[in-house]
Amino acid sequence: MNEQPVYSLDTLRSRQPRFRGLESGHRACQGCGEALAARLTTEAAGPDVVVANATGCLEVFSTPWPQSAWRLPWVHSVFGNVAAVAAGMEAALKQQGRATQVVAFAGDGGTFDIGFQALSGMMERGHNVLFVCFDNEAYMNTGVQRSGSTPHAAMTTTSPPGKVRMGKRHMKKDILSIIAAHHIPYAATASVAYTSDLRKKVRRAMDTEGASFLQIHSPCPLGWGHDGAATIEVARLAVQTGLFPIIEMERGELIGTLPIREPRPVSDYLRLQNRFRHLFADDYRARKELEHLQAIADRNIERFELRGIRPESYDTEGADTVHRGGDRWA
Amino acid sequence: MIEIPRGAFARPGTSLDFKTGTWRVERPVHQRRAAPCHSACPAGEDAQAYLAKAEVGDLRGAWETLVAANPLPAITGRVCHHPCESACNRRHYDDAITIHGVERFLGDRALHEGWAYPVAAPGSEAPRVAVVGAGPAGLSAAYHLLRNGCRITLIDAMPAAGGTMRTAIPRYRLPTEILDQELDRIVALPGIDFRPQTRLGRDISLQELQAEHQALFLGPGRRKGREWSADFAVPGDLHTGLQLLEAWVAEGTLPDQPRSVAIVGGGNTAVDLARVLRRQGVEQVHLISHQRVPAPDVPADDAMRATSREVSQAIEEGVTIHEHRGVRRLILRGERVVGMELVHMKKLVGQDGRLRRVAFEGTETVLHVDHVIPAIGQDVDPEGFNGLVERGQMNVEPWWGELRGHPNIFSGGDARSDHGTVSEAVGDGRRAALGIMRRLSAQPLDPGAPPEPIPFDDLNVHYFEPLPAAREPVLPPEHRKGLEEIEGGLDGSGVRNEAHRCLSCGDCLACDNCWTLCPDQSVLKTREIAADGSHYVFDYDYCKGCGICAHECPTGYIRMIPE
Repeated sequence: MNEQPVYSLDTLRSRQPRFRGLESGHRACQGCGEALAARLTTEAAGPDVVVANATGCLEVFSTPWPQSAWRLPWVHSVFGNVAAVAAGMEAALKQQGRATQVVAFAGDGGTFDIGFQALSGMMERGHNVLFVCFDNEAYMNTGVQRSGSTPHAAMTTTSPPGKVRMGKRHMKKDILSIIAAHHIPYAATASVAYTSDLRKKVRRAMDTEGASFLQIHSPCPLGWGHDGAATIEVARLAVQTGLFPIIEMERGELIGTLPIREPRPVSDYLRLQNRFRHLFADDYRARKELEHLQAIADRNIERFELRGIRPESYDTEGADTVHRGGDRWA
Repeated sequence: MIEIPRGAFARPGTSLDFKTGTWRVERPVHQRRAAPCHSACPAGEDAQAYLAKAEVGDLRGAWETLVAANPLPAITGRVCHHPCESACNRRHYDDAITIHGVERFLGDRALHEGWAYPVAAPGSEAPRVAVVGAGPAGLSAAYHLLRNGCRITLIDAMPAAGGTMRTAIPRYRLPTEILDQELDRIVALPGIDFRPQTRLGRDISLQELQAEHQALFLGPGRRKGREWSADFAVPGDLHTGLQLLEAWVAEGTLPDQPRSVAIVGGGNTAVDLARVLRRQGVEQVHLISHQRVPAPDVPADDAMRATSREVSQAIEEGVTIHEHRGVRRLILRGERVVGMELVHMKKLVGQDGRLRRVAFEGTETVLHVDHVIPAIGQDVDPEGFNGLVERGQMNVEPWWGELRGHPNIFSGGDARSDHGTVSEAVGDGRRAALGIMRRLSAQPLDPGAPPEPIPFDDLNVHYFEPLPAAREPVLPPEHRKGLEEIEGGLDGSGVRNEAHRCLSCGDCLACDNCWTLCPDQSVLKTREIAADGSHYVFDYDYCKGCGICAHECPTGYIRMIPE
């Protein structure tokens, strides 16, 4: 019992009771939320999948030549056309009569902006592809430039705060409403802070015939300016403040939410990140922007009716309750 | 798990060749840390460890973990003031765990099922140790010496084991059948030679014991009433509180039936006696104490020594407590007491830095009572100890309990100046047994200390759900007439509830958080428990030291240490 069991780590690694789609040794930064999200996604989706991956952090850190961290067939597409590549792969597999599923990975840049028209076409044509957007709210791979997903008032290298502006002037694009307009069978948001919920949604999307879409909130310690150890806490607070609502849609209709038991003030979330530090200056503009972000969170809570407790404790407090022995529900 | 082999993956050329562990400046390590309940327990129980076993339904394993420290759980589960619950980290979250209820349940279950203590009979060559006094300290010492492979001679002046637990704890706190069942099991253990009605200095001498044994443990308790050193006339028919209490516990009655009584003192004897008098139908029972009723905001040195729960139950039962009062003089009519003069008093730090009581002139009041009973403490009866007793107590080294200047003689329990509860006595006996083992194997007695508990801030309580504590049924004051036990204890579902509420401070829950949240696949789950008692191994070849696992560990079991 107290003797050191004789195992090699290699043997132990090969015997893990889960599919390892993204193996160790990748070059993601310490505490990378996206690496975790990709690991959880492939864990739930694998092993019988093929992946198309748009240019971005995930593609770069997972495949430095001549190595690959992927344990599944994986193809790199250019930045703007991952949905088109995935659609082609899906059509070919269908033609061959094979059941292997196709998954497309992209960052927020490759989803909200550069890859958007290919994504729209894929969904409109109804390809049986799961499109996963790892949303870290800026172009991180090239050094933190603003994207359509960057939240209002966040600092990036191309939206610096100064005399005229308080970080990004524009709003975060409401991508899920645009996805909803495509009327696809399944679309949802998820967060790395709620892992069981994330894996459940991946499985549900895989089981859906037709196009499905998943937006996963993945903190970036480097780009957001927080400690790598705080990745999960930051992600959790984004959900608990209402700034990142966790919702599910079928055919564009809201069918489920992760209710917030006790909404937290947005400052709890913003204070942890350097990209919002200008909002805590002692001046009128900063106070106004802080109130603006609070109003955005309040509107999300109102719009999706996020306040409340679910009887089966499927809410922000109950969704990640731990149990002795680790019996998670997904 | 079926792994589908794929041409796209082969070990050469995978990122596994690239050891990202070189990026690390800090590494996560598993570090079991003491839970506050463990650090706070005078008997040395690790409540967190037995709650963990109770949670998975292993009640016998839980009891064995419990009796590895304390052989009297059915008793202490009833009479202890449970400092574990005052220290419990969960009190910062919702309510403390009802640990004493779980302890009592396990103790009762063991008596009911007849679970055997996990001890083996010692060999004929085993070292021999004598234990004087079969109260909680002596019984605990004997039991722990037996667990460490000694043979024990256990003597007691009384006809049965138990000491103060038998003679002075009222039955409504500790039923006789529970006391008998638990103690009979201990004194019957093979390797313990129990000799009741054997008084030191009368039936056997200290020299005889020393000649036949390699070490001694002295747990005589305090049986000698103190002289009430008041500078006023004391009536001749004065009983001490302990005498009266023992008479009531033994016979269920008191010598006479006064209408109003004042008890002087603030310890458990005084409070127990006050409650007994109320049960006897005495209308007015006054308690005169230099200190205050214990409460969370009352500093320890200004609180009555009695257990907080007992004091509050006494107040519920109609006992009047006069805080910060001293007795100036008795008011006599002939030989009969008709009242007493009280004065406000408080402990103040004097010029020499020592606390002394100060009586405030002009605050005198008169209290009319028929009877005054001093319950101001007792001393160790020095008879037979050949001068080992100094000023009515045993002068010991505080951790191991070795008598200063007398190697191989240990003492504990009420005989020490600083301890006065059953649980403290059990802990004294346990540490003394360990100290004796060290002495017998010529190891030094290092200065010991309770383990440093893990603070609440080192837990991540986001991962726990609020859940109200299970409450045990308590007899309402108007029904507290006879010997019926006041507190009812928890049932099985209450115990499950409490075990489930335990935050598992500083110990692995096997909750899979680290395994689930590591972005680098460098936490590996093990089928068999890893060397450190957890269910996970860190693969430092790839761990980048981001600290997510430590930050999100609900129990504070993972710590980051600099490389």
